[in-house]
Amino acid sequence: MQNQFLRFLLWRMVQFLPVVAMATLTIFSLIQLVPGDPAATIAGEYATAENIEAIRHSLGLDRPLWEQYGIWLWNAAQGDLSNSLLSGLPVMDEVLRRLPSTLTIAVLALCIAVIVGVPLGVLAATRADTMLDRLVTGIASLGVAVPNFWLGMILVSIFALGFGWFPTTGARPISEDFWGALHHAALPAATLATGGIAEIARQLRSSLIEVLQSQYVRTLRAKGLPNYLILWKHGLRNAALTLLTVIGLVFNHMLGATVATEAVFAISGTGSMIVNAAINKDFPVVQGAVFVLVLIVIVMNLIIDLFYSLLDPRVKKG
Amino acid sequence: MNKQEHPIIQAENVTVRFPVGRRKTLTAVDNVSISVRRGETFGLIGESGSGKSTLGRAIVCLERPTKGTVLHSGQDLHTLPRAAMRRHRQQYQIIFQDPAAALDPRMTILRSVREPLDVEGKSSLAERNARALEMMGKVGLGPAFAGLYPHQLSGGQKQRACIARVLTLQPSLIVCDEAVAALDVSIQAEILNLLADLQQEFGLTYLFITHNIGVVEHISDTVAVMYLGQIIEIAPADRLAEHYLHPYTEALLSAEPVALPTAMRPDRRILLKGELPSPMDPPSGCRFRTRCRHATELCAAQAPGLRELAPGHLTACHHAETFREKTAAYEGVS
Amino acid sequence: MDTTTKAIATPGRFISFLNWLRSDLRAALSLGYLLLLVIVSVAAPLIATHSPIAQTPDYLAPADATYLLGTDDLGRDVFSRVIYGTPMSLIASFTAVGVGLAIGLPFGMMAGYMGGWVDIVISRVIDTLLSFPGIVLAVAVTGALGIGLTNAMIAVGIVFAPNIARLIRIQTIVVKNQLYVDAARSFGMPVHRIILRHVVPNAIQPVIVQVTVMLAGALLAEASLSFLGLGVQPPWPSWGQMLARGYTYMEIAPEQMYVPGIAILLTALAYNGLGESLRARLDPTRRAGR
Repeated sequence: MQNQFLRFLLWRMVQFLPVVAMATLTIFSLIQLVPGDPAATIAGEYATAENIEAIRHSLGLDRPLWEQYGIWLWNAAQGDLSNSLLSGLPVMDEVLRRLPSTLTIAVLALCIAVIVGVPLGVLAATRADTMLDRLVTGIASLGVAVPNFWLGMILVSIFALGFGWFPTTGARPISEDFWGALHHAALPAATLATGGIAEIARQLRSSLIEVLQSQYVRTLRAKGLPNYLILWKHGLRNAALTLLTVIGLVFNHMLGATVATEAVFAISGTGSMIVNAAINKDFPVVQGAVFVLVLIVIVMNLIIDLFYSLLDPRVKKG
Repeated sequence: MNKQEHPIIQAENVTVRFPVGRRKTLTAVDNVSISVRRGETFGLIGESGSGKSTLGRAIVCLERPTKGTVLHSGQDLHTLPRAAMRRHRQQYQIIFQDPAAALDPRMTILRSVREPLDVEGKSSLAERNARALEMMGKVGLGPAFAGLYPHQLSGGQKQRACIARVLTLQPSLIVCDEAVAALDVSIQAEILNLLADLQQEFGLTYLFITHNIGVVEHISDTVAVMYLGQIIEIAPADRLAEHYLHPYTEALLSAEPVALPTAMRPDRRILLKGELPSPMDPPSGCRFRTRCRHATELCAAQAPGLRELAPGHLTACHHAETFREKTAAYEGVS
Repeated sequence: MDTTTKAIATPGRFISFLNWLRSDLRAALSLGYLLLLVIVSVAAPLIATHSPIAQTPDYLAPADATYLLGTDDLGRDVFSRVIYGTPMSLIASFTAVGVGLAIGLPFGMMAGYMGGWVDIVISRVIDTLLSFPGIVLAVAVTGALGIGLTNAMIAVGIVFAPNIARLIRIQTIVVKNQLYVDAARSFGMPVHRIILRHVVPNAIQPVIVQVTVMLAGALLAEASLSFLGLGVQPPWPSWGQMLARGYTYMEIAPEQMYVPGIAILLTALAYNGLGESLRARLDPTRRAGR
């Protein structure tokens, strides 16, 4: 049994290798999108021909494309994401320094989204077509449509500026000051969580309703099985699979949304790092930071896949 | 040789395989040879899963044989250049079991019926419309149906539209793949009569695929019986009912409903044992042996080939000459 | 389509469209609001009371008869900037979705119709791109293409493309296996005509729903990117960029961050609402009784 599981785990990791390879290729090709001569663009308007040549050489842009990719990949595999064009510091160090703040708010947001979204979804599904259901569905529609950063601004104006319950900006390292870090992360995480709450509640609701209205469950009900038992035994097993899928999507969205949220709360995480680097055309930093975030998503997907196979034995063979 | 002297369809050792999942294949049609003469109605009988539809699709070039060739009037269309192949295949048309799926739900009946003419693109739109309406008239669909969508028609009307559609091409052969099976019994007879009339009028050749031996017996000139991808008996239709030479044909004939009150029916219905074996993993030797009450060790060891026991009557059974006596003996006991 | 069928079909469709709007309040409201935005966009110079980019000495003036929503930190009329931001938002979302369709449709259709190794390669690329956090990839692509609204929307379109491709791929596989496609093949119809005549019309419907919902995503992405300074460049206004400015002087003039935010929210709601109503309308299980 355990052996089989290990083999499955290994097989899944092997399957993820092409995705990782393709992801690195995509990230690497980003620089090919730069119109004209990337070296000249990076060097800026007032660069001399020598400057441009120096940049071209230091980025390896004077070598054949495949060689550039090979070198980039080889270095990345060893944890070297090359150096920032602006500061000259290793990108990897900077990413690792900033990653904890980003992950703190993203993971906290995911927890909030699950804790709030799941009961809302179940509540709406079991009371389908009542006022309560409509209220939940309505809130969920709002949650999907609201611009995230704007909500963050409103939260700041109410809870930080108005009541003074939370700090307006900044972050604390979670390793040094756990409660302080959570206190700082509360508003950004709440901001990030809204979309997730809405998505989880909506998907869970429709998946539960589908199960509860199935012929099969109707038969159980006709046999006199109590509602809560049906919900617990048949509804939630299916819902758990839906939930896993949604969590994967939601986490992906949240990591993306940190870009704007970090700007609102002046958190120096990986999101703001990518934005600043993109504006300053510091491509090694953009590539390195995006690479690390994609890696996190891929690992997250792997974990979700494993849970999936534990919940649903049919998936294993696929 | 003159084109007219070739059989209209000559399938030679046709095998069609489909990949199923990883490294598995399903052999839907296994080394089948048939020959259809111009102007005749050739009946092809088999259970679902016997490969009869796949053979029909291979004959109109919707499937490409994995092995073997299908010659259309002596010519293998798959060897032709694409454009020539597309032109030639118009002579060989097919009517499907499910007329609702065979019509594009987003197209009006007129546009669907006109579609083959649009492909040709030889005539003006007005001419094409006139021709399509003419063919709709032939199958009993008035101009009122032109602007309707498939979902507004009954099953029988949809099948008529499909027939009109293939007629616009003036094909020489039409494969009727269970063309009436999905329709109400009362409509079935109507469509069969329509097909018979059209055969008279246009000199069509039919390959009639069905699971219903009763239908085939009455309208066919030649009948072939398929089991698990292979043809196990071919005979002139008028011989088959009395002179069948395969236990499977016997079972099929005995299962045919008889229009007599229960008390007067001869009780000689033969129930086949077990399920149709999986075509992915067919039995050794004779494929029918797992369900045949006459099976012997010889049947498991050696696959029987088709033998011609009477003029135009071929069978693939080791015990073709003797099994009917045994059947009579069983019935005497019971 | 020929004239006889058109004559029968067109008025029927228009009437059923009106009936649909009458029976579905959400669809009617969403469509009405979006129509209003289009009118505002076209008539922006007539509606706006001031130039959206002219600076005046009235910094951060409160709302009054002259400045309907007050002025920003450079003394520009906020109301006029909201009005002029409307076409930016509409064009931005349609550009992004257009780019997404232009890339996603052909690749998805190719993968679905051709199958085999083409399908395997395209599907792998789709899977990979979907594992990128959307906005992060958009930011990175915008950085590479160069900052500005058009490039930002091309970037968002690139991010959307794999979603569209995945959807159209599945639909294409479904349609490709329909009997009417087999029938068309047996009539000798060439592949490109089968795709145009049968596959595109039948596979596109679920995509239409998806596209409507994606317009909302594109709008929000535009707002985010402009908020971050990667989208619309000053002095021209966009709702997202106005929020970024408003945020810096939020403690002095908090009311200025409400109107652009609400404008974004309502527009996204309208796109989503229209999408949901279309989904319900086009759902084949609900049409069974017709």
